[in-house]
Amino acid sequence: MIQIENLTKRFGTKTAVDSLNLEIPKGEFFCFLGPNGAGKTTTIKVLTGLMLPTSGTAAIGGFDVQKNPIEAKKLLGYIPDHPFLYEKLTGREFMYFVAGLHGMGEGGLKDDVEELLHTFDVDGVRDQLVENYSHRKQQKLSFASCFLHRPQVVIVDEPWVGLDPKNIRAVKTYLKRKTVEEGVTVLMSTHTLSIAEEVADRIGIINLGKLLCVGSVREIMKLEQSTPTSTLEDVFLELTKGDEVA
Amino acid sequence: MNPLRAIFRAKSRMGAHSLRALRHESWLKIGVVGSAAIVLWFGALYGFAAGFMWLRLRGFAGEPPEDAISLAEILMARLLAIFALALFFMLIFSNVLIAFSTMYKAREVQYLLQAPIGLRTYFLARFTECVSFSSWASAYLGTPLILAYGYTTSAHWGYYLAAILFYVPFVAIPAAAGSVITFLLVRIFPRLPRVMLFALAAVVLVVLFVYLRQNFSVERLAESSIERLILQTTVQTQSPLLPSTWAAEGVLAAADANYSKAGFLWLLLSANALMAIWLAAEAAHWLFLPGFSAILGADRTSRHPIGRGILGRLELLLAFVRNAIRALVVKDIRLFWRDPIQWTQFFIFFGLMAAYIANLGNRSMEMASPAYRSWVASLNSGACALILASLTSRFIYPLISLEGFRFWILGLAPITRRQLVWQKFWLSVATTAPFTVGISFLSCVLLNVSTLHFSVTMYTIVCANFSLAGLAVGLGSLYPNFEEDNPARIVSGMGGTLNFLLSVAYITLVLGSQMMVLQWHAFGGYGAERYFTPTLAVVLVVNTLLSIAATFIPMRVGLRNLVATEF
Repeated sequence: MIQIENLTKRFGTKTAVDSLNLEIPKGEFFCFLGPNGAGKTTTIKVLTGLMLPTSGTAAIGGFDVQKNPIEAKKLLGYIPDHPFLYEKLTGREFMYFVAGLHGMGEGGLKDDVEELLHTFDVDGVRDQLVENYSHRKQQKLSFASCFLHRPQVVIVDEPWVGLDPKNIRAVKTYLKRKTVEEGVTVLMSTHTLSIAEEVADRIGIINLGKLLCVGSVREIMKLEQSTPTSTLEDVFLELTKGDEVA
Repeated sequence: MNPLRAIFRAKSRMGAHSLRALRHESWLKIGVVGSAAIVLWFGALYGFAAGFMWLRLRGFAGEPPEDAISLAEILMARLLAIFALALFFMLIFSNVLIAFSTMYKAREVQYLLQAPIGLRTYFLARFTECVSFSSWASAYLGTPLILAYGYTTSAHWGYYLAAILFYVPFVAIPAAAGSVITFLLVRIFPRLPRVMLFALAAVVLVVLFVYLRQNFSVERLAESSIERLILQTTVQTQSPLLPSTWAAEGVLAAADANYSKAGFLWLLLSANALMAIWLAAEAAHWLFLPGFSAILGADRTSRHPIGRGILGRLELLLAFVRNAIRALVVKDIRLFWRDPIQWTQFFIFFGLMAAYIANLGNRSMEMASPAYRSWVASLNSGACALILASLTSRFIYPLISLEGFRFWILGLAPITRRQLVWQKFWLSVATTAPFTVGISFLSCVLLNVSTLHFSVTMYTIVCANFSLAGLAVGLGSLYPNFEEDNPARIVSGMGGTLNFLLSVAYITLVLGSQMMVLQWHAFGGYGAERYFTPTLAVVLVVNTLLSIAATFIPMRVGLRNLVATEF
């Protein structure tokens, strides 16, 4: 569902993403790991059509995000680390706005909106202005709105900011269930290695714009010839050793 | 649902919610802001109507009465055309700035761009916002002019309807032009070397200067009557290729009930507006994303090593100030300097004033009477004080509020709140006084005013620096807004508006009274010197007391409030 071929993005003399190749099949939960400035967010911005690549291509569901941006974005749901919500709209109004933005028809929309608001526990405040929501509620509304148009690919950028353990578990479970039951592809960028270890089918570690390794947790551990007591954190730190970008 | 419709619907819902939220605002704030807006609007209406009446009654020197009236009407119509032309170019300029913030920098931009909407749709949604943002102020200030003209010339009712109908396509054209310029600037300019940018800016400034010099030089003003000069100069503003000409002529045709001409010009303007919007949408489709992508990835990292440049050496330069206070002063100056929006306004205001003052050493001014020179010097001081009031309201008033998020640092520092408030006060006086006192000094010297006038002016402008700083810092402490990090929003609150209105009232009272006494004396109104001296003494004493009150009362009340505030 996600194909990235020889993707390079340069900012002046700095190469943020360097000849990245990655393919994520339908229904896979893929975690993108890397230190700050590794190129994760730049890759996501290219995939969401916010940034143009210097060279190479990126496609969602077979649609090139540069040549067929609208078709590609119809399949895409995106949850940034700091979600944007219109503060002077109510939660329910925001959901209808998102539906309109995705050109959704009226049929069944009301039920879908109510169901998602209920699933993400925002139904109690649905008619309050978003400006009165706590950060946690705003994050949940962002999740609810992301799934309204039934995306086949969901890109999540560090979604755990501001969520308590109970909500983190709820979101993890929801995303995982989407991949297993509905074949949704999830690309999640995170620094929380334990969560990646727990939910990811495959993990990709990126540093200084280069994809260092891709595979399941077990495969990555093998690649680095780790000891039996090693954790993903040990392997991650070993792989990105001395290369952290300030 | 259509995405464009969804965006418009969401925006209208947000507008409705914002209006509804006014119920929770302070009635005092709404009353103060609303009254000020109404007074300003009616003041402008009265001023324009009086000006048009004066033109009609005065006519032209040396012309037969019937010719004088027709010339006056031509001049009034020409003034309307100049207003349309000036508005047209001002709207292009403001739309460049608004388009950049609305289409590239606003928080919702990334959200909208990752949605499955085309760039043309995105443009149309944001363009509508640009038009509304850029046109409301011109509508607010333009309506008194339009109404005054209609009233003075007893225009046909169609004139008022035409003014509304012409306004919509008229503001759309500069908005489209501004958007295209923004797309091109964002696409091209980041790639140009800095030297090239400075060279281009210099060429634009030189061309503008030469044009103004040729058309509005002081010699020409002195040689010819102002009405003749305006008529000669404004011939160039009547080009049939300019949308402002179509709008002005169309509205004037409606005033004469010439609806076929008005209708044709409206269709011409509307067709061009639609064409401009279509072209801008195409420009968005081709130019927007590469520019946006470049901005998103631009490396804006800048380094400011201690010990380099003036900012890096501030600590050393202010070594005589006590440690904690010095740290606050250095921090305030650095923050001010590193925010170009702040210092560009500061230098534009005072730069324009200084350029104007520097041009006062003209021969034709030398020939003017002492009374006239005294009058100009007084007006210059008034203008300088008004600039000072706008700057203290804009920059000094929010200083205390901006400390809100950092009060935990200040609370732990060995500094009292009294010292904090007085630090802001002295910072204000120290930064604004060199400019205001310098400009007033230059004005008096170049106009060769009397020693008495010079002394009184300098005394008053020094007092104004203290008083306006006291008002801004004191009211800023009395009405702090610790929830807000944006100075513009802090200023637009009730306290900010009150501060500006009180500052203007202070200037009107102090400079107005002083100006009246000095001018009355310059025109020989007192008859005997013995009446003038005590009158001036009384005015100076009252003004001094007023200045002391304006400095210390707000500071005292504000400080008391700040000391009692819990964080």
